[in-house]
Amino acid sequence: MRSSPKLKPGIWDALVALIVLVMAVGCACAVWTGDSDGGGELEAVVRMDADGTDTEIRMRLDGLNRVERTVTSNGYTLQIVLTETEAWVEASDCPTQDCVHTGHISRSGQSIVCLPARVIVQLVGGDGGDPGVDAVVG
Amino acid sequence: MKRLIALLTAGVMIALLAGCRKQEASAQIFAMDTVMGVTAYGGSAEKAVKAAEEEILRLEDMLSRTDPKSQVSRLNGSDGAAVAVDEEIVSLIREAGTYSQATGGAFDITIAPVVAAWGFTTDTYQVPEQADVDALLAAVGMEHVTLAESQVTLERGTEIDLGGIAKGYASDKLEAIFEEHQVEHGMVELGGNILLIGSKPDGTAWRLGVQDPAKPNEAAYAAIVQLEDAFAVTSGSYQRYFEQDGKTYHHIIDPATGRPADSGLTSVTVVTDRGSGSGTMCDALSTALFVMGEEQALEFWRGSDYAFELILVTEDGRVVVTKGLEEALMETKESGYTYEIVS
Repeated sequence: MRSSPKLKPGIWDALVALIVLVMAVGCACAVWTGDSDGGGELEAVVRMDADGTDTEIRMRLDGLNRVERTVTSNGYTLQIVLTETEAWVEASDCPTQDCVHTGHISRSGQSIVCLPARVIVQLVGGDGGDPGVDAVVG
Repeated sequence: MKRLIALLTAGVMIALLAGCRKQEASAQIFAMDTVMGVTAYGGSAEKAVKAAEEEILRLEDMLSRTDPKSQVSRLNGSDGAAVAVDEEIVSLIREAGTYSQATGGAFDITIAPVVAAWGFTTDTYQVPEQADVDALLAAVGMEHVTLAESQVTLERGTEIDLGGIAKGYASDKLEAIFEEHQVEHGMVELGGNILLIGSKPDGTAWRLGVQDPAKPNEAAYAAIVQLEDAFAVTSGSYQRYFEQDGKTYHHIIDPATGRPADSGLTSVTVVTDRGSGSGTMCDALSTALFVMGEEQALEFWRGSDYAFELILVTEDGRVVVTKGLEEALMETKESGYTYEIVS
């Protein structure tokens, strides 16, 4: 029986293997840590869904002093306050006032919902997210 | 030369691998008096999410109690006459009747007029007179509902509200849509109803926080559970309530008394594996078991043919978890609750 030739890996083989390894790690990093809301600076996203039309306002909170935005959606007007670390609904003429009662939100993933006005104020990005849960049941 | 070809081939393969990142799509939808979130990874995720949005809106149109054009509204305004409706509604009412029977009436879709008398349907809260409640209770019970193949008859004075299972039913429909579009990982949040498809895209289990009923407006959890391929639904007294004369009245009405259930519980979370149970089942049982209270709920769990697990949060600061969730449970020490595993 004829035996296989003995393989003798050389420096070039090692170099190829190293390059492949580096590329693999790079690609894996790109795949698993790519675009998500988890990175970057903390942003406030205000979404309005009135009469079937979606409107979105995004605002970076980093360095923000205090900004008040008045939004009107589905016939109701909300006064939203944004600071460097928090967001809240200061006032609303909606009937339930749930958005006002939700109080201040300060961590990525938290949101304030006004059902009558069909408005969501959500914090995304930043490093201060809640690492504990993916969703809340309740 | 061979090395160069090998290097180029490996590079192309890795580039292709990187391009294999799972398609991701998500949407938020205002429907059924709440905000719903749908997220899908893999398969035809975008098509799945679009189809899910359409399905949610279709179900809302069909099942809404407040939309005068919905089939449920037509039924409730029928004044005792038979009404032709989609077989889908007949089937859902029949399923609701099954849960009503199984829970001894603790879950009952005909409680609708009583819930309305408390103002929970219209957000005009009030404490009704007991005599008025008693009069309404006379028309409560599935025996006042007659079903045919595509026809429903409600006795005069009887009304139904499918809100107690509509979100659970919607999660079942969305599960089917996700399967059809071969979604590999996904999460559907329909108010207090959660559907989990597979694991998270990174292969780990989803982590669900069970809202702390004592802190309903905070990111505070009575417990955290790690789940995959599951339905989870919570009914809690903190979800909708009002105060009058220093007393709090919540929205989960006991069909036996016509008053907010006073069962010693502040929330009930029902969990089941996909394939073993359904979102509709979890939705119906979470309400029923809240009404029953801890002792009866656990008795029901032990003796039931339905496959599910429970997380009960009690007024006296305990989190009672059934044995099947023991490994999935993560206690939240900062919550101040004490934990009990029951079997």
